[in-house]
This record gives sequence, structure tokens and C-alpha cells, in this order.
Amino acid sequence: MTDQLLTARFVAARRARVTVTTVLGAILAGVPLLAALFGPLLAPTTPPGTAPLLPPGGAGTLLGTDVLGRDVLGLALRGGTTVIALTVGALILAYVVGAPLGLLMAATRRRRLATATLRVLDVFLVLPPLLVLLVLAGTGRRGVLWLLIATALGQLPALVRLVRSAASAPRRRATMEAMIQSGESWWRVRLFEPWRAALGAMLVDTGTRVVLVVTMLTNANFLGVGLDPATIDWAVVIQQNASSLYLAPAALLVPAALLVALCTGANLLADRMLERRGGRQP
Amino acid sequence: MTSDESVGVATEAGGARRQSWRRALRRSKRTRTALARIAVALAQLAAASVIVFALSTLLPGDTAEIVLGQQATPAQIATLHSRLGLDRPVLDRFGDWALGVLTGDLGRSLVTGVPVAEELAERVASTATLGFAALMVIVPLAMVAGVVAGRRPGSVVDRVITATCVAGQAVPEFALGLIFVGVFAIGLGWLPATGAGGSLGGPSVLVLPVAVLVLNQLGRLARQIRIGVAETDSAEYIEHLRRLGLGGPVVLWRHVLPAAVVPSIQQLARVIDGLLAGVVVVEALFALPGVGAGFVAAVGAHDLPLVQGYTLLFATTTVVVNLLADLASVRLLPDRESLS
Repeated sequence: MTDQLLTARFVAARRARVTVTTVLGAILAGVPLLAALFGPLLAPTTPPGTAPLLPPGGAGTLLGTDVLGRDVLGLALRGGTTVIALTVGALILAYVVGAPLGLLMAATRRRRLATATLRVLDVFLVLPPLLVLLVLAGTGRRGVLWLLIATALGQLPALVRLVRSAASAPRRRATMEAMIQSGESWWRVRLFEPWRAALGAMLVDTGTRVVLVVTMLTNANFLGVGLDPATIDWAVVIQQNASSLYLAPAALLVPAALLVALCTGANLLADRMLERRGGRQP
Repeated sequence: MTSDESVGVATEAGGARRQSWRRALRRSKRTRTALARIAVALAQLAAASVIVFALSTLLPGDTAEIVLGQQATPAQIATLHSRLGLDRPVLDRFGDWALGVLTGDLGRSLVTGVPVAEELAERVASTATLGFAALMVIVPLAMVAGVVAGRRPGSVVDRVITATCVAGQAVPEFALGLIFVGVFAIGLGWLPATGAGGSLGGPSVLVLPVAVLVLNQLGRLARQIRIGVAETDSAEYIEHLRRLGLGGPVVLWRHVLPAAVVPSIQQLARVIDGLLAGVVVVEALFALPGVGAGFVAAVGAHDLPLVQGYTLLFATTTVVVNLLADLASVRLLPDRESLS
């Protein structure tokens, strides 16, 4: 009886902890996400000729103005849209290229070709996206397209391996053999069915990859090798105001706090997803 | 000697021979694995240098025109073409570039005219100091955090440590750095916000940059050690050692910790990779005079030879660190037949 009571208490305590982490993660990620999605609709506009570096409350602004005379609250509400849009874009591009490649590598009998392809992709582990973007910016090439391509390429080595191993897991063999014997087409046996099998793993992977991609993209934008300086983006705003840290701290700290909340919350939720699947990684 | 004894001696001798043969085979397997890994590293370096060359000179569009902008005159473009060697055939340029990489001659900076290798060498010490300081905090802290969390998996302490690691790992370095500057430099006034004057100055300048790098990378290693400790601590042979009467600290230091830490060598290589990427951002944020800040400045000035030099330096360091981690794993984990 006592053992049952203790077990029930342990399960209840564990559930409570899980709920606390999930709720905390949802709140932390939810606030910046809502700001990014609906902020542009609510953002105040700055009247032309507004003085730069006004303190909070100056000229009717809640958080003051930045080094270029823009309302800091408006920048915070508008600057998240690019973060979310670029993250979604880079992830879609990575999966559009990586998932078919992983499935083809799982389907092919030419193992040497598959291994050689993986080795080629591994070069992007030596040259991570930030390094590629720095080289491109050094030659004057920067912008949304390069940002998306470099970020997506950087995800490919891990993504292709994940899809390949999920699609060719030994437990799928019985299903595939049954499908071959029942006369199913090659593409259905070798591509569609493995894709369905790998979908769960890909969804969980997306959770963890979101944080990696957000970090990569914002680091690139902070270093000035990503988006155009005219773009309103949290990281770009921080970069532009970096020299006025003591004069307009809100212009740096508000976007930074939103990014910290977004990444922390997303990572807590992703970690919870991994734990539920029993695959928590270091 | 009876016939039984002589058979026994012969069997023992045969067993010893077999054992020494197996040891030699295992050693030769390890040597082959190590040589194959070194060959992969050399191939990775060659591929990285080809990609760096291709990215900086072979992409569509005239690099000289893009770098100089729309206001540039034809004479200025022609001069830059000549300085970058863009007026020569691609294969000639690549041959010179590859030869230069092999001999350590990476050209001269377009801005200062100083050899690229010299520019890099000047900045390495500062970055090495920052990275080494961060590593000296990360390794012991990760071991303590990993052991404390791993010995009581699922406890409140484990949850707090894991959540801190998860949160720290996720946040972009510059955002974390700004929050630290806001609190400790602006709010409390305890520490300097930047390395003023472009030098490391006193140790206080390093506190915030090191804190950012530590919090960002600690989780990788601490969580790996935590998993190792949790798994080893509940293993049957550890339980047996405890039943034999060995004290807790002896079991922990002599048996649990070595078994948990050795597999973390690979993770340590990931941490160093992370630190390499982190120093670029941290040095730019805190105005520190290392290779990261130099890289960003070279990009801003479109100093192509210098950009290529920094990229190769970072790529080489990544390859060498991962190679050393793999070789250490081959040495310390003798049963491991192949490296992924």
C-alpha cells in the first residue's frame, strides 16, 4: 500500500515537473512568437524627423528611440517577422533537399555512392554556415538567398543521416518485404513507405533544429553578413545600435531578451519532445 | 614432466601466443583506423580549401565589381582584377592558391599589404587565451554538474542543472552577451562592457566573454557526462564493487568517472568547435582583438586574401581538433572498430 502511494506520488511529481517545463517553454517561446506574427499589426510608427537616442517616454515613445531615431517598441514588434520567416524558409529548403537525398541513399544498393555522398556533405561540418556566409560577404555577396542556402546546406549532413537511418531501420524490413511480395511499385516501397517511416523522426528533429537555425541566422545578421542593413530584424537592430549601449540600452536589450526567450523556450519544448521519445541527446 | 603436464604447458604457450597475436592484430587494426582517419582529415582539408577558393572567386558575377560597388570606375575594377589575379585563367589561379596553401603563403592583405600568415599569427594569441580560459572553466564545471546530475537522475538538482544547460545552449552568444552586459556592466557596474582600446587589458575584460562562452557550451559536455555517470553508476559491476565494500568516493573516482568521461572526448571536440564559432561573435561583441574580430573586420573591408586565410585557419582548427578527438578515442576505446 505504501509502495503504491509512493509510486503514485512519484508519478504525480514527475508529471508536475513535466508540466512546469512545458508551460515555461511555451510561455518563453510564445511571447516572441506572438510578437513576430502579430507585432507588425500593432507596432507604432515613428514620425519622420524624430530625434535619435531618446530615453523611454521621450516624444511619446514607450521605450525611447534608437540610434537612427526609430521607436524601439516598433522595432521590437516588427523585427521578429524576419527571424521566423527566415527560420521557416531555411528549414523548408533543408528538408526539401535533405529528405529526398536521405531516402535515395536508404533506397540505393550502391553503398559506396551513398558513403561518398555523405563524405561530400561532411565538408559542411568543416565549413559551417557562418564561415560560408563570412566568405560570401567578403566577396560582397549577402542577402536573403545566400542566407537561406548557406543555412540549409549546413543542416544537410545531420539531416541526410537522420532520414537515411530512420528510413532504413531494421524493423522496417518486414513491412518492405511484405510490400514487395504483394507487388507494390518501386517508388512506393523504396521511397513513399520509408518517407512515412522517417516522418516522426523528422518532426522531432525539426524541434531541435529550429533553435540551431535561429541561432545561426541571428548570429549572421548580428555580424552584418546576412540581411540588408535597412531590414528591420532583431539581430540587425542590435548590430546597428551596438555602439550606443550606454545611451540607448533598450534598443539592444529588448530585442536581445526576445531572442533569448524564443531560443530558450523552443529548446525547452524540443528537449521535452526528445525526452518523450526517449531520445534525449547531450 | 608427465604427459599431462607437458600438454598443459603446451596449451599455456599456445594460449599466450594466441593472446599476443590478438593484441598485435588489435594494434594493427587501431593503426589502420588511425591512418584512415588521418587520410579523411587531409581529404577534408583539401575539399575545404577548394570550396573556399570556389566561394571567393568562382561564383556568378564579377567579384571585383561587387566588392567595389556601382560607383567604381573601369580603372579601379581592372586594378582589383589584377591584384586578385581575376584576369588569369581559373586553373592557373587555383594552382597558385593550392601551392600557396601548402607552403603557408596565403598572399598579402589588400588593405595593409602585410602577409596574411603574419596578420593571422598576430591575433591567434588573444583568441587562444579567450578559448583556453573558457575551456578551463567548462571542463571542471561540466564534470561537477554532470556527476551531480547523473548520480541523482530525475531529482530536482538534475532538473535544474539540465534546464540551465538546455537554456544556455540555445541562446545566441551575442544576445546572452548583451544581457550580461546590461546586468553586470550597465546595471551593477561590476565589470567592463568591452575590451576598450582593442586589447585584452586586465583579466576583468575576459570575465563576461568567458561567461558567455561557458554558458553556451557547458551543456554539451555536462549532459554527455551526466548520461555516462547515470548509466555507469547503475551498472552491475559498480553495484558489485559497492557490495564488496568499496567506499563511495573510491567507486566514483576510480570506476564511474573514468568510464563516463572517456566517451565524452568526442563531445569535447564539439565543444571546441562551438567555442571556435562562438569567439567570432563574442570578440565582435566585446571588441576583443582576436582572430574572430579580425575575420569580421576583413569581411567588412572585402579583404579577400585575409578572408580566405581566416576561413582556412578556422577549417583547419576544426579538422585538427576532431582528428585528435578521434585518435584519442581509438587509443582509449580499444574495442571501437570504426569511427562514425
